[in-house]
Amino acid sequence: MIKKTVLAFGALTLLFPAMAFAEDPSGATLNMGLNALWVMLSFILVLLMQGGFILLETGSTRMKNAGHVAGKTIFTTGLAAIIYWAFGYGFAFGGANADNGMNALFGWGDFFFDPAKASVENGLPSTIFFLFQLAFAAVSLSIAWGGFAERAKLASYVVFTVFFIAIIYPTVAHWIWGGGWLFDDGAQDFAGSTVVHLTGALAAFAATVLLKPRIGKFNKDGSANEILGHNQVFTALSVLLLWVGWFGFNAGSTVSVGDGFFGFVAFNTMLGAGAGGVAALLISWAVTGKADITTMLNGTLAGLVAITASCAFVDPWAAVVIGLVAGVLVFYSVKFFEKIKVDDPIYALSVHGAAGIWGTLANGIFATEELATRLNTGRGGLIDTGSWHQLWIQFESVVVVGAFVLAASFLVLGVMKLIMGFRVTEEQEIIGLDLSEHGAYGYPEQMKKSDKHIQG
Amino acid sequence: MGDPVWTQLLARIGSADQVEELRSLRDQVHEQMEALLPTRPVEQFNDYLNEMHDAVISRAVALAETQMARMGMGSPPVPYAYLLFGSGGRKEQTLSSDQDSGVVYEDPVSDSAEVKQYFKQLTDIIVGNLQTSGYPPCEGNVLSNNSEWCLSLSEWRAKLGHWFEEPAWESVRYLLIVADGRGVYGNQDLVDAFKDCFFTDMLNHPIIVRRMLENTMRHKVLLGVFGHLLKERYGADAGSLDIKYGAYIPMVNSIRLMSIHKGIRETATLERIKRLVQTGVLPEADARQYEQAFRIFLRLRLMTTERMENGFYANNGKISSSKLTKEMADELKSSLRIGKRLQRLVMKKTMGRLM
Repeated sequence: MIKKTVLAFGALTLLFPAMAFAEDPSGATLNMGLNALWVMLSFILVLLMQGGFILLETGSTRMKNAGHVAGKTIFTTGLAAIIYWAFGYGFAFGGANADNGMNALFGWGDFFFDPAKASVENGLPSTIFFLFQLAFAAVSLSIAWGGFAERAKLASYVVFTVFFIAIIYPTVAHWIWGGGWLFDDGAQDFAGSTVVHLTGALAAFAATVLLKPRIGKFNKDGSANEILGHNQVFTALSVLLLWVGWFGFNAGSTVSVGDGFFGFVAFNTMLGAGAGGVAALLISWAVTGKADITTMLNGTLAGLVAITASCAFVDPWAAVVIGLVAGVLVFYSVKFFEKIKVDDPIYALSVHGAAGIWGTLANGIFATEELATRLNTGRGGLIDTGSWHQLWIQFESVVVVGAFVLAASFLVLGVMKLIMGFRVTEEQEIIGLDLSEHGAYGYPEQMKKSDKHIQG
Repeated sequence: MGDPVWTQLLARIGSADQVEELRSLRDQVHEQMEALLPTRPVEQFNDYLNEMHDAVISRAVALAETQMARMGMGSPPVPYAYLLFGSGGRKEQTLSSDQDSGVVYEDPVSDSAEVKQYFKQLTDIIVGNLQTSGYPPCEGNVLSNNSEWCLSLSEWRAKLGHWFEEPAWESVRYLLIVADGRGVYGNQDLVDAFKDCFFTDMLNHPIIVRRMLENTMRHKVLLGVFGHLLKERYGADAGSLDIKYGAYIPMVNSIRLMSIHKGIRETATLERIKRLVQTGVLPEADARQYEQAFRIFLRLRLMTTERMENGFYANNGKISSSKLTKEMADELKSSLRIGKRLQRLVMKKTMGRLM
């Protein structure tokens, strides 16, 4: 027995170096493999951000809708995968019209994407690129759900997923990342302050305006009521999950390992997030007399959203400034939306919208010529070059993307509202969507009492 | 309202035969006083108002005694005093304050159970009479018909001693309530003896001052770090200012703490400030500022939103910021700054002395 084992080991030790020798990978293959691993890991991190959105949205809303809110995120992520595979990816990154003028507006080709099984040397497998891009689309979609929360019909989630993932999001992604006209102009949006966050937030805005505020959010005299979320621990945990996922989101957007530049991107991301949370807590304490936890959590997310566009273009000190401004901005933005009586249950408009705009514009101020040249995208910003050029480009991309997403979302949701209705009935909303849309509560034990109450 | 009219009204309250009559007299006073507030110095207004409340409450107690006699319970078996705590004790009731009350009676020579029973019945009637007169009962159940607050002098002595010995959060709160107590009806010697117990205990337990400070520190002045006013952000009162807990109460707490530490027995805040100057605790000039700030809080507190709740005069202590003119808001802000300074002074004195 022992003899046999020793023999087997001997044979193996002889065999292994021999095998390695036979396969000897080139540097270029190794480079491809490392890129693939890094971006695959990033995709996993970004996909896991859906867990963050589940906790964020359930934590910020009421118990009676918890199961619905959580479940629909999983469902729509699944649906998004199918739609993005069939249509979205082709409109964003299809290269069939790369040589004609239409490419400025949308991509074409690679519908029902059938990728190559292996990648070229020094490259990145297109399968992994697809997955990574899909995860971004799904994040943008989940941001949009913030505007739907606690009162939209389940069917409206299905319809909007189809249009958003097939057309609205891919169009913006193509303009800025897929070789479209804003890309040609040199618009800087490294990981998607505009593409992912602003797009999602504006869809949320269209939805929340068309749906109108939740029952009980505003009083007759226009003053707002605070509809507290049912679990602040969920909300805090969601921010941590998103924060961790963001390292895939931002640092992964280098889509290569290269000389380790993704480390710098991650570094800036961390600074922006920290600064956002600190600034938000301080401003809420200074203005309202209480250090508000929700505001601090929103500030941390706002710092992340803002640094998303600029993480690869600015110096670390600027990342801190961008985060600090985002934290203060999100506090006032929440107050602003309440004042104009727009109900924003998950604070998506402020966290992803206001901070997304700020992050995009911040490039025009803080981007350095050195990093812009390195990334071969646009130029340095106001401080480094003294030129308003890049700020103007950033402004242009915010306005154009904003107008497009708003128009498209209002169109899709408006038509949907006319044809099939958008909002659940008052009774369903009061009972909660868990029961009205799915037939069972997310927290059956806790909800029993009020269930009886409704029947009685 | 001229003084003869006022004297006549007080006389009518003092001779009312029915509780319902008390209520209707109070309603009349309310109608007139609301119009009066802007035209009178706030101190004078406050004195009038509290004179009226004292008259109504005294009469309600007297009527209860008569009712007891008519029911065959006889007259009070021992001398007693009806005590007011809270804003009533401080002679700072608004048009809509609730009942915070207690009773102290002389130690009975014999059959203390029967005496207790008499006062239980009497106070039930008094609290009922006052409810009919529009005074809601205290939410914290500091009420004369609560057996915890209706005691003989020696029982009070034991109870106060116990609170001083074990200054748990709750006990300290009760001690602060007792500090504002004053007799509104009955035997004043008993009230004095009751207060003697309190102040003797105070001398023997100096550490209690610090616990009292901790007990009241959570009421913060309505002033943000940029010197702006902190408004309610959500709900039916969004945009309004919590004058009661954000301006008035912090000042009451600060002055009370300094006063009881000095053994000052006055209960009204403005009177306490005067005595603090006399005893050399506060410099004259500072005291002037505190008085002025306090008057502004008193006036604003009298302006807070009032409403009827189940027949009671109720008030949430908040004032809509749209009701404030620019000048009033500025006045409030500078007064709040003074209030904040006072709070800091008290904190420093208390902590400094004992650390």
